[in-house]
Amino acid sequence: MSASSSETVINITGLTKHFKDLTAVDNISFNVFKGEIFGLLGPNGAGKTTTINMICGLLPASAGRIDFQSRGLKEVKSHIGYCPQENIFFPKLTCFEQLVFIGNMYDLPPGMCGERAGYLLDLLGLTGKSKVCAKKLSGGMKRRLNIALALIHDPHILILDEPEAGLDPQSRVLIRDFIKSLSQEKTIILTSHNMDEVDRLADRVAIMDYGKIMLIDTPYNLKNSIGEGDVLEIEILEASSDKTSALISKLKNEYNVILSNNLLIVKAIHLVDKIPAITSSIKEAGLTIKEIKLRENTLEDVFIYLTGRMLRQ
Amino acid sequence: MKLLSVIIKSLKEQWRSFWILALTLSMGPFFAAVYYLIIETSKPHYDVAIINNDKGYNFRSESVNIGEEFIRFFEKSVKDSLNMPFTISKVNNEAEAIEALKNKKKDALVIIPENFSAQLERHLYDKSTRPVKIRFYGDLTNINYLLSAMWANEALNSFFREATGTNEFIKIAETGIGTSSSLSDFEMVIPGILIVSIIMLMFPATIAFVAEVENKTILRLKLSKITSLQFITGLTVVQVLVGIASILLTLLTAIILGFDYRGSAALFILTATLTSISIIAFSLIIAAVTKTANEVLIAGNFPLFLFMFFTGAAFPLRTEGLFSVFGYPVTLQGLMSPTHAISALNKILIMEMKLRDIIPELIALIILSVVYFIAGMIMFRNRHMTLK
Repeated sequence: MSASSSETVINITGLTKHFKDLTAVDNISFNVFKGEIFGLLGPNGAGKTTTINMICGLLPASAGRIDFQSRGLKEVKSHIGYCPQENIFFPKLTCFEQLVFIGNMYDLPPGMCGERAGYLLDLLGLTGKSKVCAKKLSGGMKRRLNIALALIHDPHILILDEPEAGLDPQSRVLIRDFIKSLSQEKTIILTSHNMDEVDRLADRVAIMDYGKIMLIDTPYNLKNSIGEGDVLEIEILEASSDKTSALISKLKNEYNVILSNNLLIVKAIHLVDKIPAITSSIKEAGLTIKEIKLRENTLEDVFIYLTGRMLRQ
Repeated sequence: MKLLSVIIKSLKEQWRSFWILALTLSMGPFFAAVYYLIIETSKPHYDVAIINNDKGYNFRSESVNIGEEFIRFFEKSVKDSLNMPFTISKVNNEAEAIEALKNKKKDALVIIPENFSAQLERHLYDKSTRPVKIRFYGDLTNINYLLSAMWANEALNSFFREATGTNEFIKIAETGIGTSSSLSDFEMVIPGILIVSIIMLMFPATIAFVAEVENKTILRLKLSKITSLQFITGLTVVQVLVGIASILLTLLTAIILGFDYRGSAALFILTATLTSISIIAFSLIIAAVTKTANEVLIAGNFPLFLFMFFTGAAFPLRTEGLFSVFGYPVTLQGLMSPTHAISALNKILIMEMKLRDIIPELIALIILSVVYFIAGMIMFRNRHMTLK
């Protein structure tokens, strides 16, 4: 995680977008701080892309305000890098040519365009493809080129729409590491419906559904304050009903406990700290533990708790 | 069942692309209406200038001028027997009259010689008198000249049949102005064909603009610092080069096939450049109302058809001015830049005229280019290049 400051870079107030009868974004407000990775997490159709399209100026807002340190979009647009969900590139230009072209579009000095293009291609593992036409790249390479195009002008704010969508695991790790490395110097907004991606990358997360923001906090706080908490699964050898009943009665005072056959399921916030006490109680009840599994509370669990349904893919 | 599903799907898609459907369905009625407008506003009119150099002769102390009598006869016969809009005007200056022919202000020039009356008088007594020579001038590529000359010739024959009982007394000498008399049919259509080669730029130019929209790369440009004007100008420059290359290749082909190139090369390139700019500017308007190459191919047919067939590019077109500005006729077809480009190339390549002679055409080309360009740029910017 990067070290973000409390300086607000983007201030969004009452942002709303209607498409005829559909309210895609419904009166949302949030701030993005300098140097942080801010994640918009939500299922497809939650309004994430619509929100960032309004931030970038690609869609007009029906209502609300977007301020960039009290400046309008037109003043700061050259400081924003946008990587859309769809790979957008010039199919007939080579990787190097189009990076240089877009660099030129942002008024980068001619020498610097080539320098930055080479630097980004190297950073994203595309040096070997610099003279290859973009349309001939693999899906993962196109995605990386898409990110490079958003960064060619060295923007202060980087907006990434589903940066890992459709990538193989190897490319996903590469891009994740790359985004992490950028967070040292840039403010990043990323959208995703992949809770693992957001959990690993974001400093703060806004959970969106049906155009509304349900909660904003750090992944850690969300996981440790929302929902039923971590899940501990303990398999017990030859559990007799008398002993287990006594144990469950005792544990239920503090935890959410279920016994299914020989599997004891315990749910609670900050459960890791409580494992010694639970295992002691089991031993005191005269039972033997065969296996213990701990599954941490995830953002998906948080989302399910908040919405009553799973993140749709 | 599969077939039915495809039909239903296709019907839905067609209906949801409503404006393309509307354009497709209205193409026939639209052209019918345009044909009607063009024909109604360009009813034929033939303008014949006559210079009467006849000095006449004295008969019983009275001056007789048979040249004047012929003019009156011609005017009367046109009025009485020809159901055609003929205008006969007497002029005095031969050089000015030929200039008017070159600028298509007159269709034909008939020159009656000084000895016209004297020769005729002599012929009445002496049948062996040499025939009198009447000179016809005109642009042989101009259909109006051919018809005007034919009717003037018929009037002369009738006049002399009535006066002398024979028409052997006259001899017509026809002079084509510029190089029109020495041109083959192929050479005469070359100015139009050259402009067609630029008109054909309309599709690739439009697609060059629309490709950015179709590939969504316009999004990257919108977010960058480039302005609409810079982007459009950049593409226009490349397309102008394509246009000039296209017309030069067409000219080269024509030369190889026998076209005898005359006229100023600089004026030719200037006209080609202005025409290319105007066509690309018009393409921008099409690009503003389309989003894909497929849509361009449908929407582009309308102006392409008009530019090809209603400007004189594909075949010579008879035109009638709605009004005139400083003597230059403004026609319905004049709203399309190729009309002026063809007129300019005719003057340059056929008449071997100079810069001052094609200034009206150049001004018209510039005005239309600017109008198309401003309209196209505003429309394209608002539709495709504006951040909200």
